[in-house]
Amino acid sequence: MSVNTGLSAVSDHLLMVAVVVYSLALLAYAGDFAYGRRARAAAKPVARPVSELAGVGARSADEPAAAGTSEAGDSPAEAEAEETPVSGGSDGISPGGLEKGRQARGPLIRAAIGLTFLGAALHLTGVITRGIAVDRVPWGDMYEFVTALTCVTVLFFIAVMLKYRAWHLGLFVMAAVVVALGLAQTVIYTPAGPLVPALKSYWLAIHVAAMTLSTGIFFVAAVLGVVYLFAERHGRLVAAGREPADHGVFRRLPGPEALDRLCYRTVVFGFPIWTFGIICGAIWADQAWGRYWGWDPVETWAFITWVVYACFLHARATAGWRGKRAAWIQIIGFACLLFNVLVVQTDVTGLHSYAGLS
Amino acid sequence: MTDVHTPQADPAGTEADPAGTGAGPAGTEDGPALDAVLGERDAADAPVERPAAVAGHFGAVAWARWAWRQLTSMRVALVLLFLLALGSVPGSLLPQQGIDPAAVQQYYNAHKTLAPILNDFGLFNVFAAPWFAAIYLLLFISLAGCVLPRAYRLARSARALPPRAPRNLTRLPNSESYPTTLSAGEASAAAATFLAGRHFRLNRGDGWLSAEKGYRREVGNLLFHVALMGVLVSISLGGLFGYKADRLMVEGSSFADTVTDLDAFHPGHFVTAGDLAPFSLTLDKFDASYVMSGPDRGQPSVFDARISYTAQPGGATRHYSLQVNHPLNVDATKVYLIGHGYAPEFKVTDGRGKVVYDQATPFLPADQATYLSEGVVKAPDAKPDQLGFAGVFLPTAVDLSGQLESAFPAALEPAVSMIAYRGNLGENSGVSQSVYQLNTTGMQRVGTAQEVLTPGQTMKLPNGEGRLTFVGYKQWISIQVTHDPGQVPALISGVVALAGLVLSFLVRRRRIFVRAYGDESGRTTVEVAGLARSDVGGGFEGEFAELSRDLREQLTASSKEQLTASSKETE
Repeated sequence: MSVNTGLSAVSDHLLMVAVVVYSLALLAYAGDFAYGRRARAAAKPVARPVSELAGVGARSADEPAAAGTSEAGDSPAEAEAEETPVSGGSDGISPGGLEKGRQARGPLIRAAIGLTFLGAALHLTGVITRGIAVDRVPWGDMYEFVTALTCVTVLFFIAVMLKYRAWHLGLFVMAAVVVALGLAQTVIYTPAGPLVPALKSYWLAIHVAAMTLSTGIFFVAAVLGVVYLFAERHGRLVAAGREPADHGVFRRLPGPEALDRLCYRTVVFGFPIWTFGIICGAIWADQAWGRYWGWDPVETWAFITWVVYACFLHARATAGWRGKRAAWIQIIGFACLLFNVLVVQTDVTGLHSYAGLS
Repeated sequence: MTDVHTPQADPAGTEADPAGTGAGPAGTEDGPALDAVLGERDAADAPVERPAAVAGHFGAVAWARWAWRQLTSMRVALVLLFLLALGSVPGSLLPQQGIDPAAVQQYYNAHKTLAPILNDFGLFNVFAAPWFAAIYLLLFISLAGCVLPRAYRLARSARALPPRAPRNLTRLPNSESYPTTLSAGEASAAAATFLAGRHFRLNRGDGWLSAEKGYRREVGNLLFHVALMGVLVSISLGGLFGYKADRLMVEGSSFADTVTDLDAFHPGHFVTAGDLAPFSLTLDKFDASYVMSGPDRGQPSVFDARISYTAQPGGATRHYSLQVNHPLNVDATKVYLIGHGYAPEFKVTDGRGKVVYDQATPFLPADQATYLSEGVVKAPDAKPDQLGFAGVFLPTAVDLSGQLESAFPAALEPAVSMIAYRGNLGENSGVSQSVYQLNTTGMQRVGTAQEVLTPGQTMKLPNGEGRLTFVGYKQWISIQVTHDPGQVPALISGVVALAGLVLSFLVRRRRIFVRAYGDESGRTTVEVAGLARSDVGGGFEGEFAELSRDLREQLTASSKEQLTASSKETE
């Protein structure tokens, strides 16, 4: 099995261009916040109860969601395809951005969305060509893992964006993706290469795919969680009648309740995939190392991550833990996941030391 | 029509507390107390039993009840979950006795004052530490205390009917009302047929109809938690009735799965020597191939151990290719390839000219990248003095400005470099010795130069004290023999947990209420209302809208049929 170096170079270039396109998209999102139709947001304060994320305009969103994304995007759209508006919501804090059936308005936001799509297409092609170049699944080392998971993040976010018309959240997701993908290409870039025997198993396709998929999804949830914390604070300030002048950005965003709900659903979507990934990992560990669970550092952190996300799911159902605290737990969960990927798998000696970094 | 939950204050003013939790209809879209995995814990904690505790005498029973309620409350469960996550952290960051004892020893040497303190807290063996066990056992007791009563309630409610419809349906979050030409009774009957066709469980009364569906959500939720307990039980099963053993094998050698023939044997509490599977196996040949060029030069690509084995003494001999990710399954026992190395073959002739040592000697890899390996040769039968040799094996020997190194892990240019000793090997001192180490306290070095030998070359000791021939090399593998009866139950539990999880996330438990009533003018109004008792994924509104629309169409169709029928009659 040899590496097709020409094709892997094509993949490298595609991914590099993808980062540039994402950065431009990020600029466009930011530009829209700065110069976009401020009037619209100001003119319609608290016009509708904020239950947008429970699916206002979901029907009109179904079609593009199904057409515009690949595997990562389809399932959430299917799972929630039946949604229609909620008749009553309790919060009316921030109505911006998600009006029923609304298309994205303004040249900047349209450009941003277009660039997001273009970047995603380049990104996906880059990941696929890398896979073809090495003649295996394209998540065999740390660099490939990060490029694949950010690809999932973008595709999943596009699905969320189309479904909930949440165009303006792109600013935050794109920022996180640009940083992650940029770091992948500079700090942990690994040339395309063959696998060590321990990784030569069809479980690589299953276990790591599940981990990649759920990490990409949790990534979206974490970004939304951070946005939620700011939106929640903004909401409290507004309720206290002290809305800061520079908080116009929140008028474009879904309200905190809607963000909270979206976070929750995102985690609910990712959690079983993570669980599945851990189970597959255990089966593979049994095949490769002679035990299905051995508290290897990476296993331990996958377990910690799982427990923290379980905490989040439970906290959201416990009085006194909802809202801000739950959001923090969710963010801690993702921090554990990141710690596992970035620190444990590279610096702590264990059986999972496949990062390909030296 | 018993509701499993204790009715409480009902903000919507409906007769039957539809949410059943006190959360009321307002909180049911994503109802805070309902929609998470353990959502019903808070409901179970609700102040149902409290009067008993505050009644006055805080005796032992009251305290026990109080402690039990605390333990099974969601809050404490959450804290325990956090502790479980937190407690696992040192287990991944500090070296662990069970995983890498050598690393623990290194840590001890490097941190002389800190290490004993950490050890007092069991931090070098976290996952076997009593405090860690305390956390997960408390968590599982808490889980059982919550899940089992819920399972009981679910079983009891298996045949229970949904509660009667609230009086004022329009006050529920999802409701619609429309007129129909059917009579109230006919409309009610048609709605019942319709909902039964959609697999709702029905309860009917005078002018009202309530229907419920989605009991599988609670089933899924309970399955998930019970299966987690199953995982824990499976793991302890494996720990008690399983065993794990290691064995190093040089090409051409055989071994039988008996306690004496194993290098290391770690039996579970209830395992005896007789429980070992009676197989035997021979390593015929081992192949390791490596990437020969490019940036990944030296990276292993294939490890393949060709073995022959018999499952029972006297049984047929079978051949198998033992590889990483491809263990051998024999008699409910698994054999894994977990390591490999080189075993140079040496021949030692002593001062009398007699061959006192002639065998392949496993050397341990000191450098995983180049497979530079270290080992010793001990010839206790040599006369007049015992002879010992310590040195390295270099698979691909290169001379880097006087420094001998291995450049590649495959044996392309094999060579050994040995230092000779003579004297007393100290094997009779009563202290057990490692076969990989030479105790040189009773020995003295012979000669000065460290000689490099290629296959076939001999190193002569001065004064005719003997000689060492590097004949060639073989390879060795280390195998692990594992028997874990908890494995299959653990897998089943895991799969059931996942299925339960997905079920509890996908299914929503919801009720549909229908009321039909006629007014003085003979017109009938149908009121339909829906309530999701749990809606994790969201989307009940959509389902309700669709159901309500279909029901309306159904009623229209029925009334048309009736019209046609009655017009026919009048004809």
